[in-house]
Amino acid sequence: MNDVNKKGDKIFGGIFRLNAGILGIALGLLFGLVIFIATNWLVLMGHITSSDNSEIGPHLKLLGEFFIGYRVSFFGSFVGFAYGVILGTLGGSLIAWIYNKFVDFRN
Amino acid sequence: MKPSSEDKDIKKVIIIGGGPAGLTAAYELSKENIDSIVFEKDKVVGGISKTVNYKDYYFDLGGHRFFTKIQYVQDIWKEVLGNDFLHRNRLSRIYYNKKFFNYPLRPLNALAGLGLWNTTAILCSYLCVHLFPSKKEETFDQWVSNRFGKRLYQIFFKTYTEKVWGIPCSEIKAEWAAQRIKGLSLVKAIKNAVIKPKDNNKKEVITTLIDSFDYPKFGPGLMYQTMSKNIQNNGSLVQMESEVNTILWNKNHRKVESLEVDVNGQKKIYHGTDFISTMPIRELVQKFKPTVPVKVLKAANDLKYRDFLTVVLIINKRDVFPDNWIYIHEPDVKLGRIQNYKNWSPYMVPDPDKTCLGLEYFCFEEDDLWTMSDRELIELGKKELEILGFAEATSVEDATVVRVPKAYPVYDLHYKCALNVVCEFLNGIDNLQLIGRNGMHRYNNMDHSMLTAIYAARNINGANHNLWAVNEEQEYHEEIIDKPIEESVTNNVIIKTFKKMDKLGFAVAIGVVSGLSIFLATIFLIIKGGGVVGPNLRLLDQFFIGYSVSLKGAFVGMFYSFFWGFLFGWSFAYLRNLLLALFVFRVKRRLEMLTFRDFLDHF
Repeated sequence: MNDVNKKGDKIFGGIFRLNAGILGIALGLLFGLVIFIATNWLVLMGHITSSDNSEIGPHLKLLGEFFIGYRVSFFGSFVGFAYGVILGTLGGSLIAWIYNKFVDFRN
Repeated sequence: MKPSSEDKDIKKVIIIGGGPAGLTAAYELSKENIDSIVFEKDKVVGGISKTVNYKDYYFDLGGHRFFTKIQYVQDIWKEVLGNDFLHRNRLSRIYYNKKFFNYPLRPLNALAGLGLWNTTAILCSYLCVHLFPSKKEETFDQWVSNRFGKRLYQIFFKTYTEKVWGIPCSEIKAEWAAQRIKGLSLVKAIKNAVIKPKDNNKKEVITTLIDSFDYPKFGPGLMYQTMSKNIQNNGSLVQMESEVNTILWNKNHRKVESLEVDVNGQKKIYHGTDFISTMPIRELVQKFKPTVPVKVLKAANDLKYRDFLTVVLIINKRDVFPDNWIYIHEPDVKLGRIQNYKNWSPYMVPDPDKTCLGLEYFCFEEDDLWTMSDRELIELGKKELEILGFAEATSVEDATVVRVPKAYPVYDLHYKCALNVVCEFLNGIDNLQLIGRNGMHRYNNMDHSMLTAIYAARNINGANHNLWAVNEEQEYHEEIIDKPIEESVTNNVIIKTFKKMDKLGFAVAIGVVSGLSIFLATIFLIIKGGGVVGPNLRLLDQFFIGYSVSLKGAFVGMFYSFFWGFLFGWSFAYLRNLLLALFVFRVKRRLEMLTFRDFLDHF
C-alpha cells in the first residue's frame, strides 16, 4: 500500500457519527415541507381542474386520521407542516441516537 | 561583534555559513536583539540559493521557487523583499526521445510521444503494480515502481535519477523519494474536488498544487543580500570570504568554545556562547580540535555529497523555449536540466532579445566533468544544446561556468547509519546546533532549512525545539504553519464526512424507527376506535401478509417494518460508503499522479 492510501486510511479511519439534532431538524423540515407543498399543490390543482364538487385530495386527507385537525386546505397545510416537523424531528433524532448508541456499543 | 574574550552574561552567537539557514538564524536572532556573526566563505551570500551576476545576466543555481506552506517563512520572505517578488506561472516539461512530455502525463501527449505500444505497457504496468504492489520498499527503484509502475519508472525516472545522483537507483534509499512528496494533502485534494472554487479563488487553489510560485525580481540571491543588509543594520555581522578552519571544543564540558577562522588570509579566533552550523557535516566533524573519536570521524567520512555545475550560455535569440526549466531524460547527453532564466524573471537578462540558458550537469568533485576546464565545458554545453535541437552552437554569444560543490546530500544505502553515529556525537555538544540542508545532511527545501534556523534561534532564546523533527513530522511544526481557522474547520468537516458509516448501526436505527412508527400508528388507530378501525392502514396487509389493525397486527406490522427498514438502512449505508470510497479513490489516484510532478520538481 502506498503513502497516499496509507494517509487516506489514517485520515478517514474511524466510523461516521450522526448528529442527532441536525438529522432531526433536517428530517423534520423535510417531512413538514413535503406535507405542506403536497397539500397546497392539491388545493391549487383542485381549484383549477375541478368542475363539479368532487373531493380535493381524497388520499392525503387520510393523514387526518393521525394528525388531528389536518385537512386538505390552505389552513390544513400549516397543521400538516407542524405535525411533519414534529414527527420528522423525533424520527430523525431517534435514528441518530440509536445509530450512535449502536456504534458506541460495537466499539 | 569583536573577536574578544567570552562574556558569560551576553549571548554571542556564531553562525557558520551564510546560506538561507544561516542568515535566517541571524535574522531571527537580530529581532530578539541577540548579536551574531555569520562566517561565509564565498564572496556573496545565499549559498546554493545565491544569484550569480555575469555581465548583468543574473542566474540562479538550480532554480529556486519561493513556495511554502509554512506561514511564518512566507511572512519572512514578504517582510524582507516586500514588493520585489514576482508571481510566476510555472511551465516545465520532460524532454525525452526528442519530444516534450507534460507531467503528470496526459493521455494524448503520452500517446503521441511514446506510441501506442509504450502507452499500453505503461498503463498495464501501472494497473499491475496497484493490484499486486511489492511489499519490499527499501530502495528508490522499488519505491517509484510501486507507485507509478515499472515501465514509467524506467522511462521517466531511472535515467534522470541516475544522472542526478551518479549511482544506480537500487543504491538510493527509498526514504529520499518519500521525503520529496510530503505535503500533498489528501484532505485538500478532496476539498478541491468537493468545493468548486469561485473564479477569483481558482488561481489560489491551483497555487497549492504548485502551478505558480513567487520569485524575486533578480533571483533568490536578492532575498539573502537584503536579509544580510538587515542583519548588519541591526548590529550583527556577516563576514564574507571567511572560512572556518578549526572548531575548538572542550571535551570535558562538551562545548564548542571558539572557531579559528581564515579572514582574508589572516587566522583569527572567535569566541562565542552558542554556535550554529550549516557547514556540511562531514567537513564540520573533520575540523574539530581536539579530533573527534575515530568511529565518528569514520562515519562522517561515509557521508557523501553530489556536486553540480552550471554551464551558462547567452544565446542571441529572443525565444528558445517557453518553459522555466526542462528535465532532460535523454540518455544520449550528460545534461540533466536546462534553466531558462528569463522565464523565471524578465529582469534576469539585460537585453530581452537575448536568452540566457543554464545547462546543469550533476557530478562528483572527482569526476572528469568536474575537472574539465571551463572552455571544454562550454564546448560540451554548446554541442549538447545542438544535439537536443534547442539552439545552434553558433548562436551562443558568450558563456561562463559556475561550479557548486556539495550541492546535495546523498541518501545512499549507508548514509543513515553514518548520520546516526555522527549525530549522536554532535547532539552531545550542548552549545552547537546543526541546521540547513548540508548542516543536517537532509534534503530540506529552502523553507524547511529556514524553519530549522528559526527553531535554532528560538532554542538559543530558551525554547526546546527538536530540529530533526522538521520536515519529518508534519504535526511538529503545525503551530508555526498558522492555518487559517476556517481552513482547519473545513478540513475537519471533510474528514468527518468521509468517514465510513456503520452499515449495521444505520440498518438497526432505521429498522427500529420504521417498526415503531407502524406499531404506534396501529395502536393509535385501535385506541381511536370507530365503526371500522383503520380502514386505510389495514391496506398494508397487501404487502405485510398477516397484518391487521389490531394488537397482534401491530406486532406483525412492527416486525415487517423493522425488516424493510433494516434492509433499506443497510443498503443506504452500503451505497453511501461505496460511492464515497469511489470518490476518495479517484482523488487519491489523481493525487498520486500529482506526486509524480511534485517528486520531479524536488530534484
